[in-house]
Amino acid sequence: MTAAIALRGIVKHYRMGDEDVPALKGIDLDVPAGAFVAVRGPSGSGKSTLLNVCGLIDSFDAGSYLLAGEDVGGLDETARTLIRRQKIGFVFQSYNLVPVMSVRDNVEYPLLLGQMAPAERRARVDEILGQVGLAGLAGRRPDQLSGGQRQRVAIARALVKSPTLVIADEPTANLDTATAQQVVDLMKALGARHGATFLIATHDERMTEHCDEVRALTDGVLA
Amino acid sequence: MNAWLLAWRNVLRNRRRSLVTILIATVGCAAVLIASGFALYTYAALRDGAAKEFGNVTVGAPGYFDRDEETPMQFGMADYRALTARLMRDKRVRRVLPRVALSGLISNGDKSVIFMGLGADVAAEAEVRGPFLEIKEGSTRPIAGHEDLPRVLLGTDLAKSLDAHSGTGLTLLGTTTSGGINAIDVMVVGIVSTGWRDIDKRLVYTDVPTAQRLLMSDRISTLSIYLGSVDATPAAFAQLSAADPAHSYKPWWEQSFYYHSVRAIYNRIFGLLGLIIATLVFFSVANTLSMAVVERTREIGTLRALGALPQEIVAQFVREGALIGVVGAAAGTLLALFVVLALPHAGFEMPPPPGRSVGYPLLVNFSLPLYLAVDAGIVALCAVAAWFASRKASRRSIVEALAHV
Repeated sequence: MTAAIALRGIVKHYRMGDEDVPALKGIDLDVPAGAFVAVRGPSGSGKSTLLNVCGLIDSFDAGSYLLAGEDVGGLDETARTLIRRQKIGFVFQSYNLVPVMSVRDNVEYPLLLGQMAPAERRARVDEILGQVGLAGLAGRRPDQLSGGQRQRVAIARALVKSPTLVIADEPTANLDTATAQQVVDLMKALGARHGATFLIATHDERMTEHCDEVRALTDGVLA
Repeated sequence: MNAWLLAWRNVLRNRRRSLVTILIATVGCAAVLIASGFALYTYAALRDGAAKEFGNVTVGAPGYFDRDEETPMQFGMADYRALTARLMRDKRVRRVLPRVALSGLISNGDKSVIFMGLGADVAAEAEVRGPFLEIKEGSTRPIAGHEDLPRVLLGTDLAKSLDAHSGTGLTLLGTTTSGGINAIDVMVVGIVSTGWRDIDKRLVYTDVPTAQRLLMSDRISTLSIYLGSVDATPAAFAQLSAADPAHSYKPWWEQSFYYHSVRAIYNRIFGLLGLIIATLVFFSVANTLSMAVVERTREIGTLRALGALPQEIVAQFVREGALIGVVGAAAGTLLALFVVLALPHAGFEMPPPPGRSVGYPLLVNFSLPLYLAVDAGIVALCAVAAWFASRKASRRSIVEALAHV
């Protein structure tokens, strides 16, 4: 079976003034399709950088990256954007919902970018909103929702296009224990249903205990 | 989800800021429309004035318009009666008026001054020229008991200079076609004003026979053709001149240098004004949307992460700018239309322009092509300002944008 993510020798440096700061030092990582994998590590260990590279929102300096078997290492920004549009969903720590869009509009946005027909868009959005338990709140704005509800909207937005990969950066960090548990359960259930691979950056034990695999990242090196 | 509805919601995010920007676009649009409408009114008034002064088309003998006469009536027309009859058969022609240009001295016995005269059908001239030839005193009719004396109308300043009024007897001295000096006694029947002080200082209006008598000629200088409308001039000029190669034809716009001068000056002034207003609107919209872009940096990063291309982000801001432009242009158009409709009732008067002795009403014309062009320009300007404000942010690193606080 083709791995959803196959990283080999990924190196990433940041420039801080005149200094090159290594963020990732030769990362090798294989994530099977449909897996629920967490990357754990202290602040500054390179978790977010690794997720950004895997989510194609950041480039890397050396190494290779196969996303569902496709080499995405040498692509330009437009090609990376189009891959993100089709194959990658994101769940952010602060939800990052667009405040002037309703719940429905936020979830629909990735489908709109994919130029899906309106009727199909509507059906997909209704289906995913039902799956995350927000069917009755489709017309609300994000500021009319609780933190847990917002994160569920973000999960729906990430999964609505049935992506290959979902990148989740500290998805439960802003949630209370009960809500975080619900969000983790929801991500896992929907991930399985949509066949999506989850790569999650977290230091939340509540999260890691539900993952298929937990990898520790320290100073840019994956254990 | 409708992209325009989303853009409108974004415009309403910061209502006060958007309202101020829309107000600037409104005032800018109205200012351009009102200033341009005033220029159009001025051009139309000058055009009407020129067409009434010279006639829509003027006919002269060959050489009359191109060469200087060495003696009076050297390029005069003798066959004007037949030509008049022929021109009057054209349905577009309303009047054909003969004119005799003359100059010389006019004297009250104590004082002699130079005059520039016109021998014409004075009553008909007053009728076709309307407000552009105002009879200030007397009339064009002979004074009772003096019907046998040739009649003249004087410009207001010339009358003042000669202390002449209706009923005053004066003497005209002029050079004849053969180079001799001739003099005739005339009676002032009226005082007129053209509104041009320099002309009113020298103007003598008399009838054609009197002018011909002074010049000792049976010719006239020109025939002025008056049409039903100024707009009919280009076509009529082309056809009349093509049909009569024996005479020279000149449309009003080739004779009215004042019209062209004013138009050139106004075009520059109002063009500059428009440029200043456009710059203000541009930077105002660009500033508003730049602030919106900064505030929404993280959102831009999110949308980019979700798969939006930079041009799709820019398109969203351009839609917002265009909406600001549409609302501003609509409100500005309403404001300008209100001014167009209200000004005739307000009775505001412009001061006399340089060289003129009378002012003119402050009016603003409505022109649908102008309004459409200005409104489209405002919308386009706002859209370009939005593009200008958002193009850089749309290409910013997604990681940096997502980390923006």
